Amino acid sequence: MDELMTTNDRVQYIVIKVGGEQYGIDIKYIDNIVRMQHITRVPKVQSYLKGVINLRGEVIPVMSIRGKMGYEEVENTKDTRIIIIKLEQHGTVGVIVDEVKEVVTLSEDDVEHFTYDAKQEEKNMYLQGVGKYNEQLISLLELNAVLSEKDL
Amino acid sequence: MDVSQYLEIFLDESKEHLQNLNTQILELEKDSENMDTINEIFRAAHSLKGMAGTMGYKRMQNLTHDMENVFSEVRNNNIKVNSEIIDVVFQCLDALDEYISNIQSTADEGENENTAIIERLNAILNGKSGKGEAPKEEATAAEEAPKAETTEAAAKAPSVNLKLAEEQVHVLSEAMKQGKKIYFFDVKVQDSCILKAARAFLVFKAVEELGEIAVSDPSAQDIEDERFDTNFTLVIISDADLDKIQTAITSVSEIEKADGKLLSEADLTGGAAEATEAEAPAEEAPKETKSAATTAPAPAKAAAPAKDEKKAGKPVVNRTVRVDIEKLDVLMNLVSELIIAKNSLVSAAGQDHSQTSSFNEQIEYLESVTTNLHESVMKVRMVPIESVVNKFPRMIRDLSKKLDKKMELYMSGEETELDRTVVDEIGDPLMHLLRNSADHGLESAEVRKQRGKPEVGSIFLDAYQDGNNVVIEVRDDGNGIDVEAVKNKAIERGTITAEQAATMSDKEIIDLLFLPSFSTAKQITDVSGRGVGLDVVKSKIESLSGEVEVKSKLGEGSTWTIRLPLTLAIIQALMVCIGDEKYAISLGSIQTIEDVKASEIKYVQAKEVINLRGVVIPLIRLSEVLDAPTNKTKDDDMVVVIVKKGDKLAGLVVDELIGQQEIVIKSLGKYINKCKVISGATILGDGEVALIVDANACF
Repeated sequence: MDELMTTNDRVQYIVIKVGGEQYGIDIKYIDNIVRMQHITRVPKVQSYLKGVINLRGEVIPVMSIRGKMGYEEVENTKDTRIIIIKLEQHGTVGVIVDEVKEVVTLSEDDVEHFTYDAKQEEKNMYLQGVGKYNEQLISLLELNAVLSEKDL
Repeated sequence: MDVSQYLEIFLDESKEHLQNLNTQILELEKDSENMDTINEIFRAAHSLKGMAGTMGYKRMQNLTHDMENVFSEVRNNNIKVNSEIIDVVFQCLDALDEYISNIQSTADEGENENTAIIERLNAILNGKSGKGEAPKEEATAAEEAPKAETTEAAAKAPSVNLKLAEEQVHVLSEAMKQGKKIYFFDVKVQDSCILKAARAFLVFKAVEELGEIAVSDPSAQDIEDERFDTNFTLVIISDADLDKIQTAITSVSEIEKADGKLLSEADLTGGAAEATEAEAPAEEAPKETKSAATTAPAPAKAAAPAKDEKKAGKPVVNRTVRVDIEKLDVLMNLVSELIIAKNSLVSAAGQDHSQTSSFNEQIEYLESVTTNLHESVMKVRMVPIESVVNKFPRMIRDLSKKLDKKMELYMSGEETELDRTVVDEIGDPLMHLLRNSADHGLESAEVRKQRGKPEVGSIFLDAYQDGNNVVIEVRDDGNGIDVEAVKNKAIERGTITAEQAATMSDKEIIDLLFLPSFSTAKQITDVSGRGVGLDVVKSKIESLSGEVEVKSKLGEGSTWTIRLPLTLAIIQALMVCIGDEKYAISLGSIQTIEDVKASEIKYVQAKEVINLRGVVIPLIRLSEVLDAPTNKTKDDDMVVVIVKKGDKLAGLVVDELIGQQEIVIKSLGKYINKCKVISGATILGDGEVALIVDANACF
């Protein structure tokens, strides 16, 4: 989050939809957004790990954000996308989301960071804060938490 | 002088010299009279000193200097080599090694003066009467002598020995017609010069300010790569006069001399003719060295004994290029891409039935080209394991002293090649195994005598290629593994229960040794026995997709066998179907493929087995292991892929076979690493990802 402060106070987020809610992902972690494609199942892994895909010759693991955040799994639609995220400690990972909506730019003033206490609630575990954009509320994802391993 | 750019070369070469010193001193310990060895040591120490000095590492230089002094005395027969000297010198080498690793990590040699070692070295020097100074001078004089000779030889005349191609002659005579002067220069770099290429470069630069270099022998490229002895010749087109060019060349430091001559037209044409005939005798020696060095080392040494003083440590000067391993990785990845693209083409051709036969031919051609390309790229990445195992004789010698046991290491197959990444990683596990053999394996001399074994224990390190694998064996003729002791220990530790122990085979019990924190050493020693060892060895080797096995006979010794795949990136695999999913099984682990009727399944301890030509083989249903839905019922006939791991067999039940294919192994990434049975993934011709089943993990 320290990085957030330093990047000129204005950060671009990609707004995604999962289960009717809007979430924002900091654009600097996003490598690519691809359409749903065939996923090869990998046996004996956590249920939210859907398997691996071929992204231009690289094998990339794919996880379902629904599975991870405790939403019910749904059938894929034409809007379903895989967001390819690159993080230092996890490498490249694909995240399946219901829909990708838009890119928004939020300034530091529009973002309300969660305090430590608020993060203790399970629902907020994966969030770093809430952003306000044109009267809409966007929950900003803490990617490290989303991607870090959860026990089976 | 900014030397940082030469740091890498310095490190590489010093390591080479150190290794050479280690080997030679071990040699010397066995045969303390061998003059060749002593000379060799002296030379290596001398080069090391020079290099350290050039790079400004004073402490390292001092230490090497004192070591060199000792050997100079030894060489002059003023000191006899004894075990004390050898011990001190080994300490000295360890200290140097420390300097080098300091330099490698921080570019600084560190603060350790190693005064104790220097004092001991000096004590050795002074130990034998006051002759200290005189012979040393003698030594330097002796060293000067051959140098002087060569100088003399070269000084006879800058005999114009031109190798000119016709077009070069043409260019030169054109220049001459334009009133320019043509000079021939024979430039000699000092024997002690470390960075010959850099000096030569400076000479080129100096000359180019005054004129143009028309011809150089060896070629500019070779000179840049330091592929020349100490001499090189230049043909220069210039307006300046001879003296001026000569001064320009000799003003470059470490240039011993430059003999110049103004060429006439006759020289040019004559030179061209001469090139086809025999070479001028004065030039012959160095030339021969150069050409011979690439073929055989022996004649090279004979031809120019003075010249190869510096190079004597290296047996053959191969024409090599140092390449960053990352560049090779990129190349390998590109080859992988190419193979994937080829696979796509093959599968596209398979779908399209209207294809012509020439299309197929082309695809087959492409297939053979990519396979060859892959093989050669793979070979480029291969290095002999020599670089790793070289340090072991020294280690065994030290262990022998430390443990007070007599032992000898016999090595074979050092030239066996493995992928660079594997070679880098294999050192530690091998060291563990060797230490293990030395400490736990070999008995003390008294016990050996009682058992009627030779007093000196033997440890063998053998490497060889076996099909698509490289096998490295560490064998000793020591005590072997005491199965009962292991069993008792395991029960004592609660690893297994007494009932379990009763039903376990000896082999299974020995395998317990590979469990974390399991050591049977009665005493914890410095060498091994802390219980971190074999499990680390095992996990390391498994991370390299290899396996380790042990065979042992109580009282006769044990054999540890490490089996490693030749390459990690591209393999031949059998593609199989389970339900709708496709999986790859490495061809290397497959023994046979069998059709088995459901009625042939027998049960042993409630596990499914089949009896295949007299061998009982356990069945593993991949659909269960992989949680994959299968289209078959238990009553259907089965396709069974028989896989082997060491001498164990198992039958993997699959739904259908697809066929053999060359596959590129891709990692699943660090994000997914839970599944042991899956060793990686590959991309099929149609772009789909298939997982690779690790047959070894199924056992």
